[in-house]
Amino acid sequence: MPDSLTAHLVVPIADDEDARATAETLGAYEFGTVTAVHVVEKGGGTPDKIPLEQAEQRADEALGAFRDVLPDAETELTYDTDIVDGVFDVAADVSASAIAFRPRGGSRIAQFISGDTALTLVTESDRPVIALPEQPDE
Amino acid sequence: MSGTEQELARDLGFLEAYTIGLGTMIGAGIFVLPSIAAKAAGPAAMVSFALGGVVSLLAALSLSELATGMPKAGGSYYYVNRALGPFFGSIVGWGMWAGLTFASAFYMLGFGQYLLPLLTPHVDILAEMTGLGKTVAALGMAMLLTGVNYYGVKETGDLQNVIVITLVGLILAFLSLGLLSGPTIGEFNPEGWPAVAATVGTVYVSFIGFEVIATSAEEIKNPSRNLPLAMIAAVVTPTILYVGVMFISTGTIPLDILADSEVPVKIVAEDILPDFASLVPGVSPSLLASIGGTVMILGAVLATVSSANASILSAARVNFAMGRDQILVEWLNEVHNRFRTPYRAITVTGIITLVLIAIGVHIGTLAEVASFMYLVTYTLVHVAVVVLRRANPDAYEPTFQIPSVLYPVVPILGAAGCLGVLVQMSTNMVPYTIAVGSLSVTSPFQLTIVGMIGIVLIAFGIGWYYLYARDRAPSKSLVGDAIAPTPTAATDDDDIYRVVVSVANPDTERDLLRKAAASAHAHDGESEIVAVNVIEVPDQTSLAQDLTFEEERVDRQQELLGAARDVAVDLDVGLRTRAIVGRDAASAVLDVVGEENADQVLLGWTGKRSRREHVLGSTIDPIVGHASCDVTLVKRGPEPDECEDVMVLVGEGPHTPVAARRAAEYVAATERASLTLVNVQPPAEDEGDAAEPVEAGETLIEDLIEQVDLTETAYETRVVVDADTEEAIMDAAAAYDTICVGATRESAVSQALFGSLPEHLGTDLDRTVVVARGSERSPMSIQDALIKRLEG
Repeated sequence: MPDSLTAHLVVPIADDEDARATAETLGAYEFGTVTAVHVVEKGGGTPDKIPLEQAEQRADEALGAFRDVLPDAETELTYDTDIVDGVFDVAADVSASAIAFRPRGGSRIAQFISGDTALTLVTESDRPVIALPEQPDE
Repeated sequence: MSGTEQELARDLGFLEAYTIGLGTMIGAGIFVLPSIAAKAAGPAAMVSFALGGVVSLLAALSLSELATGMPKAGGSYYYVNRALGPFFGSIVGWGMWAGLTFASAFYMLGFGQYLLPLLTPHVDILAEMTGLGKTVAALGMAMLLTGVNYYGVKETGDLQNVIVITLVGLILAFLSLGLLSGPTIGEFNPEGWPAVAATVGTVYVSFIGFEVIATSAEEIKNPSRNLPLAMIAAVVTPTILYVGVMFISTGTIPLDILADSEVPVKIVAEDILPDFASLVPGVSPSLLASIGGTVMILGAVLATVSSANASILSAARVNFAMGRDQILVEWLNEVHNRFRTPYRAITVTGIITLVLIAIGVHIGTLAEVASFMYLVTYTLVHVAVVVLRRANPDAYEPTFQIPSVLYPVVPILGAAGCLGVLVQMSTNMVPYTIAVGSLSVTSPFQLTIVGMIGIVLIAFGIGWYYLYARDRAPSKSLVGDAIAPTPTAATDDDDIYRVVVSVANPDTERDLLRKAAASAHAHDGESEIVAVNVIEVPDQTSLAQDLTFEEERVDRQQELLGAARDVAVDLDVGLRTRAIVGRDAASAVLDVVGEENADQVLLGWTGKRSRREHVLGSTIDPIVGHASCDVTLVKRGPEPDECEDVMVLVGEGPHTPVAARRAAEYVAATERASLTLVNVQPPAEDEGDAAEPVEAGETLIEDLIEQVDLTETAYETRVVVDADTEEAIMDAAAAYDTICVGATRESAVSQALFGSLPEHLGTDLDRTVVVARGSERSPMSIQDALIKRLEG
């Protein structure tokens, strides 16, 4: 029997707001294990956009916020020059059954400039991807 | 962070760091300044450039030591703030920001100056409005760069490296062709040496930028080697290039023409190249000249853009560091949730730059004010190096140090050099008389515009400190430590065996104190326990403010410590209490350990993995990592008062002897307690040699007994042979009340300080688990030392 789609979810989160909202949305559903992932974006040969210390602080806050809502969640912090690649690597490491995330909308230009992460996550994933709605279901 | 993640977080090698420094250094300076410098000092300006290089080299050495000792975001600002306190921190923070914005404005105007000649032959309207055109071009590019940094366009990062390589190649080509065309220097020093000295200040803006490498210290691989090497290389390389360019320029074009040009490098190129036309078939001399000229323009454009880009990003990092230390509002540090950039800091920096360009400050003044602020910063950096060497705080261990043969010389000479240039830049030795009524005062010098602006900016930094920062930023200045005489080693003769116990939980308090008392009693001679409780106050709140509103926490603290005293009376051991309010529990405990000259520090441990990616807790890790004495972690089992059967897990790790010693102490203190030494071995490889592992185990145990000298205590030994050693250990341990195990490895960061086994024992075993670490630390590789630095 194949595994349930939600046996082990990997949930990428960008910051503490995103973490809280995503965790609340997820909380309304049933799932097995969940691993929250925050990827620190590295410059890879050039300095990072924000100082490493600040990035790690934000990561701490984001992962902590996620666990505030879902205390049993596992957390992963990883570094990668490409955020989506980082998420895929973690998903592969933990053998996730699916990736679940909250795509943040915005104009086409904004999405393009910020790297089209939502689109890449969905189109280039090697495992199922679940897109969570912006507002948690009431 | 695990060891491998540590590797991922550091992705800048020597070449990348060098390129970053070089790219920021080679800015508009070399393209714009030859004319200004030639006007001021003639060919002797080469010496000015060389001197500028020396000043920066000295600063690079001092900065390298500080950067490897304190690899935190903020660069020079952070080091000065830490060493000299928020007063100077405020000056340097604002100074660096001002320096960066003035420098950005300078680069952008330089861009404008070079861009126009590129376009004017083709676009007639622009030729009409050269003055305005430059400003418009500068403003446009400044806005573009701000936007690029705002949106965090990553591709510019890779472009940066290409730009730097192109630039260096360009300049080298310029130099080689220039040399081949035989430059002749006329009168070397037409304006005299004082002019040369003054010009150092003017051209110094070409020598700022190498410290950007320091602001990225956390991302550099093997920073103890790469950081200083990259900084020094990033200073020496441009110096040589600049001197060369100056030489060629003054040797090829008559001084007066050179001095008036706004695009000196271009006209020099146009002069040199026609001579080589014979080498290139089919190209007329004039075509070659204009190609050369255009190429240099492109070079200037690339240089100015890359330097301004780096400056804007650097400014945002300084803001972050200032905000983190409460010298500046945190509002600026907000990270954009879509673009992942410090957008507010970038926007403000951009706006200031635009304003500077728009109000039409002369390009030379922009350069000089930028230099001024940087020189102030470097002076304070030199002072900081000396202060830190003298104060030598615990957490500061630079892996690169200025070689002792150079030591006091470099910072002293460096600071003197910086001050010298500063004074030269700010003053004119022209007597100035102020007359008020019938009184008149004559001062032998007057301030230049640069001097005035510079002093205003410093005053702003000082004013800011008094109005804002003083109440918010806790002063952690080490100047006091530096000035105080080095404490004599008398404290080492202290014969009292002291155990520092961190008490935080009323449930576990008694048990921790019992164990501490056991260790204390086991020692001949005097002994005492120091019970510590720390109230942690978040960074945003001032310490004084918190105490008034947190009476509840203070009461709790008093209760805890009062209970400790009662327990001590029961246990018949001397006890003192320390009630502390601080920012960080771990540092506070470590301070107490240091002050009390403790022989052992004992902490409670929940046995669970903390949520914050630390292995065993954010308070425990630093203490275990940095404490210089024995460390004991106690995870309380279900029935702590009946710790009768104690097991010592004998292994090959370096801390098993300490664990055994602790076990012996506890057994000696408890009635009807028993001590068992257990070793688990995997079965022999050879089927037939079944006795081998048992023998190996017994030998190990016997060696341990000898080492720890357990002859006073009654003990049993046991060797278990099992293929799954970890499971066997867990099974064996379940038969006892208390398990003592030694820490298996050194660093908290590289894959769990205690190795998976003690952690496993702690989380999964429902018994009292004691993990011990001895005070002998094996010599640490630079890599590990740096990892330790990052934890704290």
